[in-house]
Amino acid sequence: MTFNPLEQRGIPLDRQLRNWRELNVQPIDPDRCDPYTRCRIITMNGIEVEAILFSHQLARNTVDPEVKRQLARTRYIEAQQQKVVNWLLPGVSSVLETTIAYEQVAVDLTAWVARMEPDPYLKQAYQFGVLEDFDHLYRYANLYEMIEHRKAESIVDNLTEVMPGRPTRYHHRDAYDNVRDPYDKTATDPLSKLHALTIMSAEQQTMNFYMNTGPTYMEPIARQLYQEIGLIEEEHVTHYESLVDPGETWWEQLVNHEYNECYLYYSFMEQESDPRVKSIWELHLNMELEHLHTACDLMRRHDGRDPQEVLAPELPNVLTFEPNKQYLRELLDTQMDLTTLGAGYVREAHERFEKMQEQIHGGEAPPSDRVMTEHDEMFGREYRVQTEGEHPDPAQREK
Amino acid sequence: MSDLHTPQAGDDQLPDIDVVGLLMRQHGDIRNLFDEVEQSEGEERRDAFRRLVRLLAVHETAEEEVVHPFVRSAVDGGAQIVEERLAEEKSAKETLSALDDMDTDDPKFLPMLMRLRTDVQEHARAEERYEFSHIRRSTDVTNLAAMAKAVKAAEAMAPTRPHPGVESATANVALGPVAALMDRTKDAVRKAMGSG
Repeated sequence: MTFNPLEQRGIPLDRQLRNWRELNVQPIDPDRCDPYTRCRIITMNGIEVEAILFSHQLARNTVDPEVKRQLARTRYIEAQQQKVVNWLLPGVSSVLETTIAYEQVAVDLTAWVARMEPDPYLKQAYQFGVLEDFDHLYRYANLYEMIEHRKAESIVDNLTEVMPGRPTRYHHRDAYDNVRDPYDKTATDPLSKLHALTIMSAEQQTMNFYMNTGPTYMEPIARQLYQEIGLIEEEHVTHYESLVDPGETWWEQLVNHEYNECYLYYSFMEQESDPRVKSIWELHLNMELEHLHTACDLMRRHDGRDPQEVLAPELPNVLTFEPNKQYLRELLDTQMDLTTLGAGYVREAHERFEKMQEQIHGGEAPPSDRVMTEHDEMFGREYRVQTEGEHPDPAQREK
Repeated sequence: MSDLHTPQAGDDQLPDIDVVGLLMRQHGDIRNLFDEVEQSEGEERRDAFRRLVRLLAVHETAEEEVVHPFVRSAVDGGAQIVEERLAEEKSAKETLSALDDMDTDDPKFLPMLMRLRTDVQEHARAEERYEFSHIRRSTDVTNLAAMAKAVKAAEAMAPTRPHPGVESATANVALGPVAALMDRTKDAVRKAMGSG
């Protein structure tokens, strides 16, 4: 890999504005697209949303009006990038179909990051989280067949298996146990910083999506399932954001954000199968290179440090969407019964966990269990996609 | 694709007391049949396409007889909403008739089927978003159930998968052209609405 974003120049900022015609992108075909094209779109939308929200927070903490204006200029372009990226999703898809695609992202993105993460503590955090997203995919897939009479495999296309992960009812932990220890910004591999930012952004977008679209459903079980899983997404954002070293300055964080956007657009450009979408990744990469240079200038000016000190000497291996079936099966075999205690993990249900479980379930089955009961009443079976054989955990095999 | 079969609306174990839920599940059934037609060939494709034509005819007729009249009279601005849906339906019906006259092995068949699929899918989502939401808002449970009963009567008129034990009766219903099927469905729905 020879691509070093710090040495590349992109499109000058004053030539990045797009008109309505350029913003009006043709959406992908939901029935015939590469599922991983849709995953890349959803991922980049989450990344752009985080870029915008982070820049707003930074502006609110900035006194100098000239710097505020500079942030506003870049942020407006990022808002256009978000519009172009997310508007690639087709209007004919239902919220539930988009939800299943979000969970496919959560599964295959987090699994890939867990595989590649060099730091064992961070790796464990991704391994822990991915088994929960995996279970959410299974619950939503069953809801989808109930409401729309469609199978989730028409969306995930057998690239991702659909079967139980760590049961959703056990994801409700005392908030105290959702906070992890951060990496050390001076010692960690630069790749680890990118991983943490990417997964945090993706989970944050999922949280935002469920909290806003959940109540658009009329079916009581759908409304309740979105409420339940929406709350777990908040736990996941807490879990992942606490991995990031809070000692990074605002400017250092800005540089990391822009660098990560370059990394991801470059990665997706390299592997995109849809030429039209690929040209968008390429265009946005060329925009991000300039955003990165602007951010680097701000860091030099305000922190008096060279950004090269905190960044990788060159882009890491491209981040890839690909099936992770065997890896997930290993995790299903070994980590199903984990929960968190403080900043670590245990196999036994501890007092704080049990108290939370008792309070939130209130002696009743949660929506994530009831969706399975209702699905069974309707079809006399459950919905799964097990392309690689039966479930690794005997307790989770279909009765 | 997995071997799991999703039974069609009416054949699953739901009581079908809500016309909106029933029609939404039927939209999924229609998409499943489009998949079947696309993924098969020869005799199998011909058979899947016949079932698709039947379900589309029955579904659209039921909506015209049950859903649209309700929205037109009970919803503020309903006439406009229905006009837009009817315009979409008209264009889909034209493509459907053209396809119906074509051999399923004709090289022009699949491209045209894709166009129909896109039209039908856009129409279905527009109904769900701009029409069905009004129905659930402006009618009571008794009415939702009565409408569901009428839609099921339409389905019984031209089942897309013969029910065990009644094959002979359904097989004997000569299908004929799409228009004739729609006429018969209309009669069945009106009868069910009248007796409901």
